[in-house]
Amino acid sequence: MKNLVRKRKITFILTLISAIIGIMLATQLQSNLTPKVTESRSITELRGTLLKELEKSKSILSDISKYDQLNYQYETALNDRESIAVMKEELQRAKKLAGLVPLEDRGIVLRIEDNDSAPTPVEYPTERGNLPPSGESSGVVLDDDLRWLVNEMLANGAKAISINGNRLISTSSIRNVGDEIQVDTKTIQPPYEIKALGEPETLISGLKLEGVENFFLQSVNKQIVMEEREHLVIPAFTGEKTIRFMTPVKAKGDS
Amino acid sequence: MWLPIVGLIVGIAAGFLLDLRVPQEYTSYLSIALLAGLDTIFGGIRSYLEGMFNVRIFMSGFFFNTLFAAGLAFLGAFLGIDLYMAAIVAFGVRLFNNLAVIRRILLSNWLSQRD
Repeated sequence: MKNLVRKRKITFILTLISAIIGIMLATQLQSNLTPKVTESRSITELRGTLLKELEKSKSILSDISKYDQLNYQYETALNDRESIAVMKEELQRAKKLAGLVPLEDRGIVLRIEDNDSAPTPVEYPTERGNLPPSGESSGVVLDDDLRWLVNEMLANGAKAISINGNRLISTSSIRNVGDEIQVDTKTIQPPYEIKALGEPETLISGLKLEGVENFFLQSVNKQIVMEEREHLVIPAFTGEKTIRFMTPVKAKGDS
Repeated sequence: MWLPIVGLIVGIAAGFLLDLRVPQEYTSYLSIALLAGLDTIFGGIRSYLEGMFNVRIFMSGFFFNTLFAAGLAFLGAFLGIDLYMAAIVAFGVRLFNNLAVIRRILLSNWLSQRD
């Protein structure tokens, strides 16, 4: 009887212990099988993403330093705003002088028109003896004539000149190409119209003093019409302009 | 004799149903404890077959072995000593020894019964 009770007790204990072992087994299996795969994978993934994030943060940091530098530059530029304004003014002045901007001011418009009245015999004035003495010169305006006009205008204080809308700049040329006249490389056709900025009265009286009207009437049978304008617009130079064969000479002490 | 097997099955079912999960870092300690438990079970079976079974020795062996195996491995990880491996080897060797002894006893019992 006592033996039976003891045996039952042993069986009960064995059952209990095997149940504990079973729970441990199941736990071990579960924590070993399912999460192990996902967790190990997630660790490598995490490492990869960590590396990526580190790289990203590094690049962002470099960006920050770059923008800081830029910001600093802008701030210093703000302090130097006056000097920038001076530089802009200077640039504007240089552009005006170079003929790169359209200008508006008082001036005159000079047109060379056909003379409707009776033609007068061709007769070269003594002071213009260098004109080609060919019969073709009568009735045709030559580059020489235009150059003379432009030169007289400049001598009388013209600030900007355009011929048929072509702005003359410091390197402009006026020449005959065949029967036509080219300003720089653009061909212009009669009737010629020269616009010049400057004191209108000075310009007109200067031209008249030179006998321009008379000369054109006599040599090429053309009429010169000069008009004063209060608001005359001279267009900007539109041709190509490349800086070649131009190197500034650096003087000593010049920064 | 069938009751412990039923207990084992019930335990496994309960473990799966409870859905217990040990964190990744601690699975090695649980495995050590499990190995110690299995070793004790096989030792118990062996001593039962040899007729030297003692409930107190068996129970104390089970709990002491599992707890100390896990605890020592845990301590070893802190000290930098791989007691984990030592426990695995020791319990593994004992487990297979016990298995071999159990097989021999069962075989001799079966042979003597046939004769």
